[in-house]
Amino acid sequence: MHEQTSDLVVGLLVLLLGLVGLVMASGALDDAMYVFGLSLLGFAVVFDLGLVKRYFDRIDAAKAGSHV
Amino acid sequence: MSDAVMGAAMPAARPVSRAAVTYNMDVVRKFTIAAMFWAVVAFLVGVVIAAQLAFPIMNLGLEWTAFGRLRPVHTSAAIFAFGGSALFATSFYIVQRTCHARLFGGEALHNFIFWGYQFFIVMAALSYVMGFSQGQEYAEPEWHLDIFLTIIWVAYGVAFIGTLFLRQEPHIYVANWFFMAFIITVAVLHLGNNVALPASFFEAKSYSVYSGVQNALVQWWYGHNAVGFFLTAAFLGMMYYFIPKQAGRCIPTACRWCISGR
Repeated sequence: MHEQTSDLVVGLLVLLLGLVGLVMASGALDDAMYVFGLSLLGFAVVFDLGLVKRYFDRIDAAKAGSHV
Repeated sequence: MSDAVMGAAMPAARPVSRAAVTYNMDVVRKFTIAAMFWAVVAFLVGVVIAAQLAFPIMNLGLEWTAFGRLRPVHTSAAIFAFGGSALFATSFYIVQRTCHARLFGGEALHNFIFWGYQFFIVMAALSYVMGFSQGQEYAEPEWHLDIFLTIIWVAYGVAFIGTLFLRQEPHIYVANWFFMAFIITVAVLHLGNNVALPASFFEAKSYSVYSGVQNALVQWWYGHNAVGFFLTAAFLGMMYYFIPKQAGRCIPTACRWCISGR
């Protein structure tokens, strides 16, 4: 599978998971669900920021390669 | 980081020329490191809970450090965190080499499998310590963690089986059949044993649809077959690759072609 397609599909899935985590945390009736929901949101944010970073890293690497 | 393997490294018995394949070794390396880390955690917690049996004062009088809560942390860390990470690492290592193909799904999927599985382990351990459990041995995580693990497991199956579809070998090496059995059977066991009705979408509490003796029967259908397919079949898959590889000898009944060059 092409890297960009993978990034998009996985990125959207993780985004959805993060939103579900936010909803779970917002209405949590116990500590476990509150911790899980907020952690899932944090996981999703960090993971998707990592995808964004890798995307620009690839562009930078391609640019650096074309200048050589 | 990637590991390039050239077709020129193939054994003389297979003179077919091939293009270079860049394997994804990054995810293999990460799972291997995670396996070592979780091994230390699992064994350390095991020593602590063993000591608690002899010296009850080591429960510290706190509910979070009581034997009943730390015991599933030890078993889950040993089986699912240590053993599971080792199986992810070796299955991804083996499937790429025996198929002569890069892992299917792109780096994002592989990272999702790795970090998602680690997230599941940490969340499960945290929930045990906080006192949230289904109370079923080796199936302690509550419903929300079960669903999250299912998503990770499907992603794992897609990456592994997708790689088999990309293979440049006519034959599927025996180790990969064991790993496929492991992936599919563990999925069936996990889904079958964890059919439960949550008390609420916002509550980490659920009730199994099975009751009484049916629950016991399904639980130990799960438990024994988890040992059979998580701790046996998948590790046999690992052995079917690494033992012949290290010995430098093929298994005649299991191997139609030599793995010495892969």
